[in-house]
Amino acid sequence: MDRADDAGVYRINDDLALIQTVDFFTPIVDDPYGFGQIAAANALSDVYAMGGTPKTAMNLVGFPLEQMDISILREIIQGGVDKIREAGVVLVGGHSVDDPELKYGLSVTGFVHPDRVLTKQNLKKGDHLVLTKPLGTGIINTAIKGGLASQEIIERITRLMAQLNRKPAEVMSRFEVHACTDITGFGLLGHLAEMVTGSGCGIRLSGHKIPMMAEAREYGQMGFVPAGAYRNREFRENMVEFGRSVDRITQDILFDPQTSGGLLICVSGDDSESLVRKLKNHDIPEAAVIGEVVSTPGEKILVE
Amino acid sequence: MSTEIDCRGLACPAPVLKTKELVEQEQPEKLRVIVDNEAARQNVTRFLEYQGFVVSAREEGSDLYVTGHAGEEAGSKPAPVKTAESEEIKQKIMVMVGNDRVGHGDDELGLKLMVSFLNTLKEMGDELWRLVFVNNGVKMTISDSEVLPVLKELEERGVYILVCGTCLTHFDLLEKKMVGETTNMLDIVTAMQLADKVVNI
Repeated sequence: MDRADDAGVYRINDDLALIQTVDFFTPIVDDPYGFGQIAAANALSDVYAMGGTPKTAMNLVGFPLEQMDISILREIIQGGVDKIREAGVVLVGGHSVDDPELKYGLSVTGFVHPDRVLTKQNLKKGDHLVLTKPLGTGIINTAIKGGLASQEIIERITRLMAQLNRKPAEVMSRFEVHACTDITGFGLLGHLAEMVTGSGCGIRLSGHKIPMMAEAREYGQMGFVPAGAYRNREFRENMVEFGRSVDRITQDILFDPQTSGGLLICVSGDDSESLVRKLKNHDIPEAAVIGEVVSTPGEKILVE
Repeated sequence: MSTEIDCRGLACPAPVLKTKELVEQEQPEKLRVIVDNEAARQNVTRFLEYQGFVVSAREEGSDLYVTGHAGEEAGSKPAPVKTAESEEIKQKIMVMVGNDRVGHGDDELGLKLMVSFLNTLKEMGDELWRLVFVNNGVKMTISDSEVLPVLKELEERGVYILVCGTCLTHFDLLEKKMVGETTNMLDIVTAMQLADKVVNI
């Protein structure tokens, strides 16, 4: 591939290519087990986003041995391992270093058929865009950091972030999907901007159709928008145009950096309704068609 | 003399938290918050506007001064904001009714308790979000049900009443449903996931 994508792909032969990816970060939530689950789901996601199946994984650990009790690390790794097993992936090793700042993640290897690799490119006019998880994790995590969220919200959002993109990946493999990516740190608009650049097409989104968590609106309005959202906006402002009915908080959520977000699937327009229906039948209730690929304005995103 | 707090050098979301603390404790008419980055300026502005302040900002070298003047609704409580969508943080309660009686032992008593329960549900106010009827519970929603007027009133107040379609069909009552929407298990399970609290009767 000549452009950076969700993961690295290496062709072995006509039927098999290897996907390689790595991802790790500092704690997202306070619960060590939950953190392990989220970090693992996040790392595996890049393989699913390329249309592949993850096969093996290795742990990456940075741990402050002097300052923290080793039982915390055990919990984190247990969370990661349980998630890895849930994905049908084999843990083949790992590496840890003594680090003043706690970090955890995975290096993941997956398989994909060379002809079925899904990149961020290849948008076709008339395609529809489907999103599988609701937006708002950045804002809600900021509010959690500020001590404002209830335990129920913390648990709910931990489950959301820990949710594998495995099922949506399996479902989408039966449809005519042209491009795919997972929504993470650049926010929905940031990742869409990557897809649109160099494609010769534009994107038109229906703001009210985009799944968002209600709590993200509340907390965002109170000013718990992470700095990353403002950076994302600054970076892509000139590519995005908002309609008059799109209020400020919606704009914030569309630029909100996500942690372990859903898949953004670019599917042939005729198939989108049936893809969403199948996704909903497979426990992905928030799946929705959020927009379409248009020919003009090229290389721009319109949000209505 | 306006109250001033210095939030320079503080990591997100500390500037908003400090501003919130000040507003809640002192309820100032005018306040000024000093920050040193754009994200903090935006967030403090959003918070103050949410509280009903009129906000302006100016740059002083590398610092940003955010000034808020109390509008009519400014105060320590989350003020009702002008936009229609904004709501106070409240929970979503889902009540699932699986029978036409409450409790076991005496059926006549059970029916009286169910009528009483459904009559009293409106005390939950805005927090009652979904009312779901399954199995024998669907009989509460049909034409000669004693609680029909109460359920209709709840529906009018914005409570979503969901009645299990499979159950109505099983009892051959599909045409007799007089209130609520016919629903399926996916909607029910989704509602359970989205609800803050699920109450099973």
